[in-house]
Amino acid sequence: MIVRILDPTHELRTAGARPAERPSSLKGKTIGFISNGKEGTKGYFTHLGRRLREDLGVADVIWRTKSNYSAPADAHIIDEARQWHAVVTGVGD
Amino acid sequence: MHEINRPVLNSRIYDVEDFAAAQELFHSNGWTDGLPVVPPTEAAVEACLDWAVMPPGQLIGIEPVRAQPITAEKLAINAVMAGCLPVHFPVVATAWQAMMKEEFLLHGVTSSTGGCAILLIINGPVRLEIGANATFNALGNSDRATSVIGRAIRLALINLMDVRSGGIDRTTLGHPGKFSYCLAEDEEGTDWQPLATMRGIPEGLSAVTVMAALAPRQIMNEWTTDPKEILETFAAEMRANQRHYSIYGGNYAIVIPKQLRDIIQSAGWTKRDIAEFIYERARVRRGEWADVGKGAIVRDRANKIHTALESPDHLLVVAAGGPAGGFGAVIPPWMGSKTKAVTAAIGACVDCEPPKG
Repeated sequence: MIVRILDPTHELRTAGARPAERPSSLKGKTIGFISNGKEGTKGYFTHLGRRLREDLGVADVIWRTKSNYSAPADAHIIDEARQWHAVVTGVGD
Repeated sequence: MHEINRPVLNSRIYDVEDFAAAQELFHSNGWTDGLPVVPPTEAAVEACLDWAVMPPGQLIGIEPVRAQPITAEKLAINAVMAGCLPVHFPVVATAWQAMMKEEFLLHGVTSSTGGCAILLIINGPVRLEIGANATFNALGNSDRATSVIGRAIRLALINLMDVRSGGIDRTTLGHPGKFSYCLAEDEEGTDWQPLATMRGIPEGLSAVTVMAALAPRQIMNEWTTDPKEILETFAAEMRANQRHYSIYGGNYAIVIPKQLRDIIQSAGWTKRDIAEFIYERARVRRGEWADVGKGAIVRDRANKIHTALESPDHLLVVAAGGPAGGFGAVIPPWMGSKTKAVTAAIGACVDCEPPKG
């Protein structure tokens, strides 16, 4: 006997999003770090900032930390990020 | 006879050979929690929607971080899969409405390495309508209603929010409550106010409270008739959680069984009295972290006092459990106050604007 059943998933009915444009070079650019504030981010972002400056000629690295590591970045950080050429974000457990 | 003008369901349809083929379809697509599901047929889903008087496209809510809309039809499909009858569906729908409140932080709760589950606590007349059992084995497999309602929450997270292990769900360990974590309060077995009433829902209404919760930590004290000594055992378990898991204050739940409840009640203690006592007793000095291997983050704040509750209001006191035994439970929060428990009325809007004119 054929059983007719329904798809339980959202069927990709998600809000649309599009990736930001990628810079062709990081030389002379301003790069933002958005940290989730956990201990593990400190060493990682410190090292990454140094490599970006020394190896790729990044002009400025700006480091911001979310007020809640499990929530999206605060609105003022998102606003500020519009001035940056690229953003690196991630978790550090 | 009139033909019912029923709104059309919009979900994709699969025709499968039989029950076993349905199971394989669901398992192979990652649409289950690892257990068999009830095949969600059109008739079963429509019955849920009819019971709740919801058209298929009714928006239950939009998850605030990922902007994911949740419709009644999709939620009903997952509820049927979990084993829900139509009478269970309004509880599932209301719980989801509560979960999508910003203060609950559903995304963080379901993606964190911390591995909590979503605990539901049901109050009001709906408990009796659905046959929820608040006594024997209340936190276990006590009855059909709480088992399937709790499971429906998880299946909908998997299928509607992509909360799959290793995907959105980054949990390190998790706990068995991630299959189903639902509890009814034993309102008939206590003189205390129901939890939902304590949290602002008018008396007599049904309601569900959602909380991002770790596994229950069972306590026992059968050797005293002093309410303070009984509650000290609960507070000690909360202090242990602060030392071993997270020191930060948040919503804790405590489940007090009838044997202990009768002692505390007969001494004249209310839930508010309990919460105020626990608030005072469940606190640790930051320096205690050094005793359990976490000295590295004590820093220069060894004497700082951390309360397990930000205020007495943050304790969810629940009456539940079988008639005998001094076994209670402390249910710690996921991670401090980053998430807040939310209580919502079932089938009623208690904060809507009154009609004009």
